[in-house]
Amino acid sequence: MLKKIALEKLGDLVSALMEKGPLYAPVKGEKAVDFQEITNPADVILDFYNTAMSPKFAFFPQSEDLIRYRLGKEATESEAVSLDAKPSVILGVRPCDAKSFEIMDRHFLGAGIIDPYWNDKREKTTIIGYAFDPSTAADPADFYNTLGISASDTAGSDIFMIRTDKHLLFKGITEKGDRLLKELSVLEAGSKTDEKTFEDKAKKGGEVKTRFMEIQDKAVAGKLVQVFNNKEFWEKATAACISCGACTFVCPTCYCFDISDETLFRDGVRKRFWDACMFTDFTLEASGHNPRPRIFQRYRQKVCHKYSYHVDKYGCISCVGCGRCTRSCPVNIDIYSIIESASKL
Amino acid sequence: MDFEPKILGIACNWCTYTGADLAGTTRLKYPQNVRTVRVMCSSRINPSFIIRAFQLGADGVLVGGCHPGDCHYGTGNLYARRKLAVTKKILEFAGMEPKRFRVEWISASEGKKYAEVVEEFTNDVKALGPQTKFKIRKD
Amino acid sequence: MTAMKKIEENLRKEAKRLLEGGEVSVVLAYGRGYDENHPMPFAARTVEDVDSLVFNEYCTFNLARYLPKYPPKTKIAVAVKAADSRAVVQLIQEEKVRREDLVILGIPVTGMKDQKTGEVIDNKTTCNMANPVLYDILLGDEIHGFKGGSPYDVLAELEGMDHDARMAFWKKEFEKCIRCFACRKACPMCYCDPCFMDASRPRWADKSPTPDGHLMYHLTRFYHLAGRCIDCGECSRACPVDIPLYLFHKKLAKECEDMFQQAAGMKIEDKPAMVNYGNQDSDEMLK
Repeated sequence: MLKKIALEKLGDLVSALMEKGPLYAPVKGEKAVDFQEITNPADVILDFYNTAMSPKFAFFPQSEDLIRYRLGKEATESEAVSLDAKPSVILGVRPCDAKSFEIMDRHFLGAGIIDPYWNDKREKTTIIGYAFDPSTAADPADFYNTLGISASDTAGSDIFMIRTDKHLLFKGITEKGDRLLKELSVLEAGSKTDEKTFEDKAKKGGEVKTRFMEIQDKAVAGKLVQVFNNKEFWEKATAACISCGACTFVCPTCYCFDISDETLFRDGVRKRFWDACMFTDFTLEASGHNPRPRIFQRYRQKVCHKYSYHVDKYGCISCVGCGRCTRSCPVNIDIYSIIESASKL
Repeated sequence: MDFEPKILGIACNWCTYTGADLAGTTRLKYPQNVRTVRVMCSSRINPSFIIRAFQLGADGVLVGGCHPGDCHYGTGNLYARRKLAVTKKILEFAGMEPKRFRVEWISASEGKKYAEVVEEFTNDVKALGPQTKFKIRKD
Repeated sequence: MTAMKKIEENLRKEAKRLLEGGEVSVVLAYGRGYDENHPMPFAARTVEDVDSLVFNEYCTFNLARYLPKYPPKTKIAVAVKAADSRAVVQLIQEEKVRREDLVILGIPVTGMKDQKTGEVIDNKTTCNMANPVLYDILLGDEIHGFKGGSPYDVLAELEGMDHDARMAFWKKEFEKCIRCFACRKACPMCYCDPCFMDASRPRWADKSPTPDGHLMYHLTRFYHLAGRCIDCGECSRACPVDIPLYLFHKKLAKECEDMFQQAAGMKIEDKPAMVNYGNQDSDEMLK
């Protein structure tokens, strides 16, 4: 199903979506653009390259309450936080990020245990993908082509949006997407010419070139196991790393979390929140022993997890080449270059 | 009902805490809003204690030590003066009302001064009302 | 040849000489990143590594940050710009590195550019000095007559606000924090292991990212850097969510200079202000 709306009517569409439930869309902050829950339709912008933070927070918030409790003199009362996600929409997800949700699904839903927190929000959310503008060159840090994703890939989106000179075109990709498109009366039906334009634009998106190298999941997974013990290589590649968590927190496919009980006087909450394998205390054991005390060991873990262990366990690389880790790295460490040089060893 | 502020007092063992004792034994009257914690020296005070106290609901923090030059350990309060001065600047620049944090040098013989400082500080904090800027709110 | 190119050439020449002669075992400088505008900190250990050294206006990193992690007595050559040299001086004062183990390659430079925005880095976010305060070898010509304005000019707006407005300002900024700790990790003066934020007893702030924990983390970090921050601006450049941490650091640097008559990292003989006291100290500072 193809629908369209004039560019200047974006506000109407946003208002219509807000009526359906919480809407997350790109908003311009002081410097960077980021997804935010929209309260004022005029805040939504579509002129952006990509957001600083990934949209994973919509299903996997940085901090999430699991249990609330009260410590009593004799007994502790506790209550699980109920799952009550409202049907929501994320508007303007770039193709690489849309793909990341599918990769995360394998971990949160496909590993034999279904994560109820992820599942609840995932099921109730409709994702409106948004093609990269084919007339803009890809950011030098991006490498989504390498992971087999194009600038106008529809995989992972429920609805896919493409901008033309005067219109926004919407194509339903999944049933959930079609259903939402039908309900939105502000949209006009697309004509045959619009369909042609959509196809043309989508094709053009395929021509956007990011950094590219030939990689095969299995081969790179095997290679990394091979170079695992090459201490010299890892130390050199990660010599600049300062072991902060910026790369993992902006990453759309990093899913590690920590759980902690936080009590204030007698009331407390058991929470789960993002953790980063780059932190010194990530693997610190109660005995005081730390299996990964060195920075290169932690960085190696990150690379091998994404490009090797994840392939073995879930059958795909856990990276979409969005370039966020490289862009946000305070010292410009580039995972692409590391994979490239590891493959050449 | 009148607002009765909760004030954290941190007093050094050798001077201010003894001064407070003296105020008590000489039966001076002063407000009961200060909950005093004794430390061995005013330089033992970690500025995070003060931030934490405000977070846990203190309306004011009063720190007491020996007069400069009279420190039981020689120079402890000279270091403390610099530390607490910076703490005060931090609180102020973060947006806390400066009157909620006060440092006074009170010797063991100054029971009267202790009572006066407590009275004055309590009135100041009372006038400012409850502290909500740092206080942890439970949703 | 531009000044930057000349510095790059001298950097390579000196690095080669120092490594060849065995004077140092590592040269901390800048290397190629994934493109021209994104160089990386680079540790050259062999003569072959020297070819990878670069210098351009995007080499903003403060390499003093890497010094404390080397085992004691390692001979290190370190390339420093003005603010970075202050960090080295401060580290020497704090006995984290020894002067005799260092060969300081000074870089006199102005007009460095922010990698994210491409804007020139000036007195708004850094101390904006042109010449290193301490060096063994100068890699470029000393800069004379550079006037960049006071590093504390930028504080006027915040200082003019009332307390409530300032609290609102910082609350809004700290709310952006994602607790990635890039600020403390990029900071040359944050070398504590473990950091108070990683301690579990006592747990100073929530482990999860709560606004109250952010407040505790940042205020305490500001305190820990009071009188030590050399105003290089690395924390703010490292921040992926652009919190203007430099504002608070600048304010405390200014206050400490006023109160203790000593700026951080200027003289090797100074004692760090916060582990010292002076005869001129008075109770005025507590007012």
